[in-house]
Amino acid sequence: MNDLSGKVTLAVVVATLMLAPAPAAGQAPTGPVGGGALNEGILAKVPNGPSPRLADGKPDFSGVWSPDRNFTYDISDALKKGEKLPIQPWALKLAKERPSKDDPEANCLPTGVPRLAPYPWSIVQNRNYTYILFEGNIHSYRQIFMDGRKHSPDPNPTWYGESIGKYEGDTLIIDTVGFNDKFWFDFAGHPHTENLHIVERYRRPDLGHLEWETTIDDPGAYTKPFTLYGHSTLETATDLMEYICQENNVDVGHIVGKDSRNSLPKQ
Amino acid sequence: MRTKLIGWAASLGLLLAALPALAHHSFQAEYDADKPVTLKGTVTRVEWTNPHARFYVDVKDDSGKVTNWNFELASPNGLMRQGWTRHSLKVGDVVSVTGAMAKDGSNMANARTVTLADGRKVFAGTSGDGGPTQ
Repeated sequence: MNDLSGKVTLAVVVATLMLAPAPAAGQAPTGPVGGGALNEGILAKVPNGPSPRLADGKPDFSGVWSPDRNFTYDISDALKKGEKLPIQPWALKLAKERPSKDDPEANCLPTGVPRLAPYPWSIVQNRNYTYILFEGNIHSYRQIFMDGRKHSPDPNPTWYGESIGKYEGDTLIIDTVGFNDKFWFDFAGHPHTENLHIVERYRRPDLGHLEWETTIDDPGAYTKPFTLYGHSTLETATDLMEYICQENNVDVGHIVGKDSRNSLPKQ
Repeated sequence: MRTKLIGWAASLGLLLAALPALAHHSFQAEYDADKPVTLKGTVTRVEWTNPHARFYVDVKDDSGKVTNWNFELASPNGLMRQGWTRHSLKVGDVVSVTGAMAKDGSNMANARTVTLADGRKVFAGTSGDGGPTQ
């Protein structure tokens, strides 16, 4: 897990304490999303209870979920302890060379998969589709076909790929191919190719927690498949809110450096 | 002016922890956590926009020269989750801002703490973005 969590928790507590006094006279009410809920879910009380189920008995993954920053900074952080990314030399070289201003996410383009932005996200299920909704970067969604179809023989390469899903017991399994090679896996700039094939396995062990395993197989950039482990908590104090990155993205012109993970990615 | 302000901030012990960072872009690729800056001035413009809210402050140096600074905040959503509203900062407010300077040398900084016109001191970054926390 992230070694900053302690500091971040402290920061969040400090921030909340600083905001504790009543709003100044004339200040508009905070609105339904206020109350100190934070996008990491650190302070929000994670509810207890059994895993909910849909009317048809399938596991219910609905809710607003916190981002897992191991899927933002550097996917190496989401590996099992002691493991290293089996990255090919050319891909490592590219990751080291990539300037952060070229990160598609900094340019308001989608995260792709399995990357998560540092904003809440949500899962919506119905009989023939599952959707993963992202608040931020970009304000978009993944569509997962649950109708039993097979992958297209030659899917058009896209940012989120072509996803088909099924339930195996209480696990939702999402199989995705048809990715473009444009997105970066993380700030560290880890690349991939159009050969990318991702299998995700989502479980909700109880009401307040979501766990998933993401197996990445890309013989174009990695020497063997590897698995990432993700965790989210249920955000009970907030909804997804609108977030349109393109509105006023003045950052890119000022990004002159490289993320340290970008310069020195783990292997 | 910049050197003087940095020195002043440092002398007050306001040096911020150099933590790695996160927003929709890499914090540390854009801002230098080792270059803290504290500036006081009058708000000239507020942009309650994505991906980051921004506000602009006219800062007067000792010689009377006024420079307009551009401060980046968290996203409006991130700020609202911390209790901010779009009315928290208003044009004409006199504020004090502590932040991290842009690496490209422009008059731009990532605001971390803002002391508002009513005296409240509020965290201005994205919670958990890994940037300096005070």
